[in-house]
Order: sequence, then structure tokens, then C-alpha cells
Amino acid sequence: MTGISNDPAVDDVGQGRGAPHGNRMVVAVLALVGFFVALFLWAHNAGLTGPIQCGIGDCATVQSSEYAYIGPVPVSTIGVVGYAVLVALALLGLQPAHRDSRLVGTLLLAGSGGGVLFSAWLTYLEAFVIHAWCQYCVISAILITLIFFASLPEVGRVRGGAR
Amino acid sequence: MKKFYYIFAAVAVIGIGVVGFRVSSSMFGSAVSAPITLDFADDAELIALAQGITKGDDAAPVTLVEFGDYQCPGCGSFALSVKPQIEATLVASGQVKFVFYDFPLISIHPNAFLAARAARCAADEGKFWEYHEVLFRNQSRWATASMPASAFEDYSAEVGVNEGSFTACLNSDEYADVVTANMELGTRMGVSGTPTIFINANGQTRRLNNYDFQSLNDAVQTMLAPGDR
Repeated sequence: MTGISNDPAVDDVGQGRGAPHGNRMVVAVLALVGFFVALFLWAHNAGLTGPIQCGIGDCATVQSSEYAYIGPVPVSTIGVVGYAVLVALALLGLQPAHRDSRLVGTLLLAGSGGGVLFSAWLTYLEAFVIHAWCQYCVISAILITLIFFASLPEVGRVRGGAR
Repeated sequence: MKKFYYIFAAVAVIGIGVVGFRVSSSMFGSAVSAPITLDFADDAELIALAQGITKGDDAAPVTLVEFGDYQCPGCGSFALSVKPQIEATLVASGQVKFVFYDFPLISIHPNAFLAARAARCAADEGKFWEYHEVLFRNQSRWATASMPASAFEDYSAEVGVNEGSFTACLNSDEYADVVTANMELGTRMGVSGTPTIFINANGQTRRLNNYDFQSLNDAVQTMLAPGDR
């Protein structure tokens, strides 16, 4: 331990107000994993990889279905962008200047909540419309759900945060 | 904080490694996606190598021959709207045998040659026509892909072709000679665009100018008329 101080505005490493929020670290790591899962699917949609080999399920059916795209945009592109934004927000929220930022907390909650809803819709399509499962999509659904739960402590910060 | 950054960096390195490996191993694959150099001593040698894929009774009195390109929108329209009518009526009644030859227009359709080879790989397991239709149905998806092989592999699974043997076939030079020979055959027959349809009956071959079902049906019935026999 370094920089021990009695001032509550200075943390145990002397980096400013409040300790780094552990939940944002969890969000950053999980979102980074999600980013690479989405990036892999995006590379597949862009024709940059070989066939997707699933241990379970039927990724080929899901990825070649009409639901793999929203208009001309592959769903995986939305995933890449979404997870990248969550990584950036979580890392930003770990910086001393933004540790208590209500804006970062609000955006993390909104982003992960929106991601859960979008992922739920995709899971519904796999289960009841396409009748096939892609394990990478399932992994992504689990990740975004975990990210949402890890973001829940932001509720307290948003309600009672200083900035 | 340090521990967090170590974990974060480890995840980043693993992610970049896994995705990078999959991309690089696909991009540096050995799938032949362009015509190869072939020397034909004479027409007989060319005809021996060129292979059309046939649908219908071999003994049918009339043969319709299409030279097509999987990346060509006109061929897609023909395959998805006209060909089913030909099959349901003229082929089903035994009047017509339909034959498809590849004629990828490689100067404007960079993925068409590989698509033609992919269809031939699917034909190894008797799924040519199913694959043919899936390629045209999904044309807008793979036509603009920089590396369309993964899409082709997905479609093989969709039509029930063994993915392992299909991938091995696609990532090789298999059928590159046949597709090249088909292109050469088309060129020698005067094909310059796609789809180009020929009708053959009674030893006579002529090129058709209209590809709607009614025009094709009229041409077939004319060929079948007693005066033309």
C-alpha cells in the first residue's frame, strides 16, 4: 500500500477521489472479451475467416440466415461497435478524473441495458425463428448480461454521485 | 490497478491472437479463385474436359444450355424465377434437358470463379442444384466480400454437404480446370455475357435472345414441332 492518507478524497494509491471502481474493471474485461467474440463474427461475415466450427449448435445456419444482417449491416458490426464503446467507457470511468462521473455511470447502464435487450431479441430469433444456435452468439448474450449486472452499482453513483 | 491492467492486456493479446490466426490462416489459404492456364490441342480435348451439369432426362429431345455466372444479377433472376418454371414444366415432362456451364466474368466479378468451383465441390455430394440456388439466393451477401470462402462454406452446411470435404475441395485447385475449360468452351461458342442460353435439338444449335419463360417455351415448342424434326 502506498500513499495512505486520511483524506477521503485521496485513494490508497494517491490517484484522486474515491477508489477505482471494481465493477468498471469487470465491465472492461468482459466487454473486451465480447469485443473479440463480435470481431471474430464480423471477420466471418466479411469473408475474412474460414468456416465457423461450433462445438454445439449450428453457427452456419445462424450466420447465413437473413437475421445475421440488419439491412446491409451485419449484426456482428453492431456488436463490435457496442462492445468497443463499453470498453472505452469502462476504461474512462477508471481514470481518476472520471471515477465519480455520473455521465459515465449513466452511459454504462444505458449501453449494457440496451445490449441486453438487443441480445434477448437475437436469442429469441435463434430459439423460435431460426431454430438454430450459434455458440458465439450465446457467449455474447451471456457476456452482455454479466456486463449489465456488473454495471448495476452505477445506479447508486448516478443517484447520489457528486458529478 | 496494475493487476487489472495485466488481466486486460492478457485478454487483449489472446483476443488479437485468436482472431488474427483465423483471419491469416484463411487469407493465406490455397483456394484457386481464378482461371488456370490450359492448352487444348483441339476442340475435342476441350470438350472432353468441359463439363456441364445436367438436369432432366438424357434422352430429352431438346437441350437448353445456359452459360452462367454466379455473381451476375441477370443469372440470379434467371435461376430463381425462370429456371424453376422450366424444371416444373419442360424438364418434368421429359421435353427438355437443362445443362449449366460456368462462365464467370472474372474481369467484373472477382468472386464468380471461386463460386463456380464451390458449386462443383457441392456437386461431389450430389448437391449441385441446391447449392446453385443458394448461391444465387445469397448473391448480394457474398458478391462484395473480400474473401467469400467462409460464406461458401456456410452454404455447404445449409444444403447438407459434408463441411470437411467441401472445405478441402474449396481450398485446393479442384475443378479449376473444369471451370476454366467451361469458360473457354463458352468463348469459342461466342459467349460474351451472361446468362447466354442455347437451344439444341435435332443436331441444330441456336442462341436465344430472350430468356423469359414464355420465349424459351415458344422456342422449345418450335423445335419440337413436326416441321422441325
